[in-house]
Amino acid sequence: MEKIKALKKLVICILIFLIIVGGFVCVMDPFYVYHAPLGGQETVLYDRDYQMPGTIRNFKYDTVILGSSVAENFDSEYVDEYYNANTIKIIRASGSVADLLYYMNAAHDENKIKQVFWCLDIFALTSSTQTTFQNNEELNYLHTKSPLDDITYLYNKDILMEEIPLSLAYSVMDINTGGQAYNWAADKDFSAAGAMRAYSKPQTVASEADYSNELQLLNENLALVVNEIKEHPDTEYIIMFPPYSMMWWDCGYVNGIGDLYLEVLEETLSVLCTLDNAKVYFFQDERDIVCNLDNYMDMIHYSPDINQYMLECVVKEERRVTSDNVEEVLGNMKDTYQYIINEGIYIYYPKEE
Amino acid sequence: MLFNSLIFITVFLPIVLLGWYGLQQLKSPMPAKLFLVGMSLWFYGYYNPWYLLILVGSTIVNFIISKLFEKCKKDNRRKVILFLGIFFNVGLLFYFKYYNFFLDNCNFFFHSDFHVEKIALPLGISFFTFQQLSFVIDRYKKDAPDYGFWDYACFVTYFPQLIAGPIVLHSEFIPQLQERKHRKPDWNMFYDGIALFILGLAKKVLLADILAIVVNAEYNNIAYLDLPAAWITIIFYMLELYFDFSGYCDMARGIGKMFGFQLPENFDSPLMATSVKDFWRRWHITLSRFLTTYIYIPLGGNRKGLAIKCRNLFIVFLISGFWHGANWTYVVWGILHGAAMIFEAVFPKLRFPKEWMNRLATGIYVTFTFSIFRSESLAQAWLLIKKLFAGGFTSFTVGLSNTLQIPETYVIRKMLELKFPQWQNVFYMFCLFLLLGISLYFIQGKKAESWIEKNGCKTRGILMMAFLFVWAFISLSQVSTFLYFDF
Repeated sequence: MEKIKALKKLVICILIFLIIVGGFVCVMDPFYVYHAPLGGQETVLYDRDYQMPGTIRNFKYDTVILGSSVAENFDSEYVDEYYNANTIKIIRASGSVADLLYYMNAAHDENKIKQVFWCLDIFALTSSTQTTFQNNEELNYLHTKSPLDDITYLYNKDILMEEIPLSLAYSVMDINTGGQAYNWAADKDFSAAGAMRAYSKPQTVASEADYSNELQLLNENLALVVNEIKEHPDTEYIIMFPPYSMMWWDCGYVNGIGDLYLEVLEETLSVLCTLDNAKVYFFQDERDIVCNLDNYMDMIHYSPDINQYMLECVVKEERRVTSDNVEEVLGNMKDTYQYIINEGIYIYYPKEE
Repeated sequence: MLFNSLIFITVFLPIVLLGWYGLQQLKSPMPAKLFLVGMSLWFYGYYNPWYLLILVGSTIVNFIISKLFEKCKKDNRRKVILFLGIFFNVGLLFYFKYYNFFLDNCNFFFHSDFHVEKIALPLGISFFTFQQLSFVIDRYKKDAPDYGFWDYACFVTYFPQLIAGPIVLHSEFIPQLQERKHRKPDWNMFYDGIALFILGLAKKVLLADILAIVVNAEYNNIAYLDLPAAWITIIFYMLELYFDFSGYCDMARGIGKMFGFQLPENFDSPLMATSVKDFWRRWHITLSRFLTTYIYIPLGGNRKGLAIKCRNLFIVFLISGFWHGANWTYVVWGILHGAAMIFEAVFPKLRFPKEWMNRLATGIYVTFTFSIFRSESLAQAWLLIKKLFAGGFTSFTVGLSNTLQIPETYVIRKMLELKFPQWQNVFYMFCLFLLLGISLYFIQGKKAESWIEKNGCKTRGILMMAFLFVWAFISLSQVSTFLYFDF
């Protein structure tokens, strides 16, 4: 009898502890799996992979900033203010079109989207058209609406002892809150010396690679992008081509794929600027930015000032590409590319005689 | 499937308990046995269903062999059947566990060029093969009755002991199965089972897995270890292995009790042993029992003089080394244990005057030998040995403590990082020695079952077990396997 009583007590104690732990995680909900921040809670967004599915599902928004890590430092409050919008960032590190559209499908299902600020990466246009989420099995519970697989989230030491305290600390310290969601710029070294550590310029130039496979992928990715835009005629797509540093262009050149990048741009720009509900902005040929390595921390990641500059250009409708000027823009880009590989890069790197 | 997984605790175990006791209410015991075998096969084939072919095939072949003993009364024929049984089981083990090792060594020593695809090692093959081998030998010796197939299949596949022991004898399991005295749960036993399972889970998840963080990191960086770091690494490995395997066995025995089965004990405070011989009475007891019963005694045991006894000890520990794995590190480990046993047999009176000194000397020797056991190769083991005795003193121990980044200390670590960065290393060292202290406390403390007997029904004990269960449960999001699955 004594052990039957003890068994009952043990089961009750375990259930009470489980309810306390599960309830606490459910209320604090650092990945927003169940709800947007409750009254008094600050929105803290610091981990794109874990927090993205929940924010897409449970937040109220009408505008999206879409892209890879180079889009994370946009100030979404600036967009909110100027366009009277309610903006969230939808970010995937790779910037892969398939992955971003997977998120966008979910976003369209949950909210009516007025505008999408898409920071479209050139390299993403030649990446696989399959989503990569299936490679991360541990994230499955974040992607499903079913509560059956949430046990890994509710009863997870990392969530309870790391993520919740971290989220609270960020909230108090005002880190990654408001328009600075996912902003990673703090403590980063944006300087020519820092950026150059990411690229050791090779002495030899590879012969032009066979990139027929990449062109095939380009066509498939471009079809996905066009399809997304055409399927949502009431949504305005503001497509920005971000300015990677000249190291990235030079790296493409020495690896024999510089011309591929130019071809990707030629193909993509001429298609996108013909779409009714899309506005295209091009920053890749801004020599003042791409040729000044003090703007960068590595080959592609630029400082938040550049993000802000891009948004201001969009607001002022500067650097826009239309059917009328697309040839001129492409010509400028080709000139810039030639300048980079022949002159610009040697401002920082020694030229071999 | 792993005991320390969410699917096992929240889905598999409740289903199999409900099914087992539900089907026990039927008049015939057969549905319950079929259910138990079926669920055990699901448990075994959860990660790789192809392994089921080996387990099922081995079970059927051994059962047929046992039936042949029933038909043959002549000694010569029985010997042939015994030979066939041993050949089949050892052959199966050799093929899956040692074939690659054998060919690699042939290629190395004879400069040959044999090449085969890497053969994957099925989980727990050493355990279920030894278990069946003991049955075949007992059938030959007429020490085992003629069981029905499903009784035998339940005995071999019974999931709590299937993958990492204990190595159960047919005489310990099948009579309990046939008795059917537990058609309803024995709640006293059931409670003891749950309590034992919780303590085993806590040993595995809250101690072994945390110790493993340091051990795994340092075994990947042996070249950089200094002398104290090398000793801390091997002590932590010994503790990890103990809590890992002992935790598994507690869980296995606890689950056994939930089903109404009493499985044999596998540990008896082994790190408190006062000699290597004493250690093997306390560590992996069911393996020692198997080796003694089926190898040491048939070879003559200690009945034929000291020389033969020493030879037998050597053979037994050589086999024990091979049983643990196809690597020379296990062989050397087995030889070192055999050598110590021979030394103790030849010089039984050569002892330290105080028990604690013998305990310490045994602990150091065993820990040292297990450092070779853990090494990936003899070269790595040799490098580690050099570090143990001539590693010098750098500040690497501080680096070693830095690997101990667990969620439990996250808030303090972050606070120190922001406010008092100069105290971070002190905190890491404190955590390292705290973990060592806790582990050492538990290796000399009461056995789990004694603790349950004394505290299991007290409110404080119940609260502690509930707390440990929930703490372990929330730690399962990153699941680790058991070390003895590899053997």
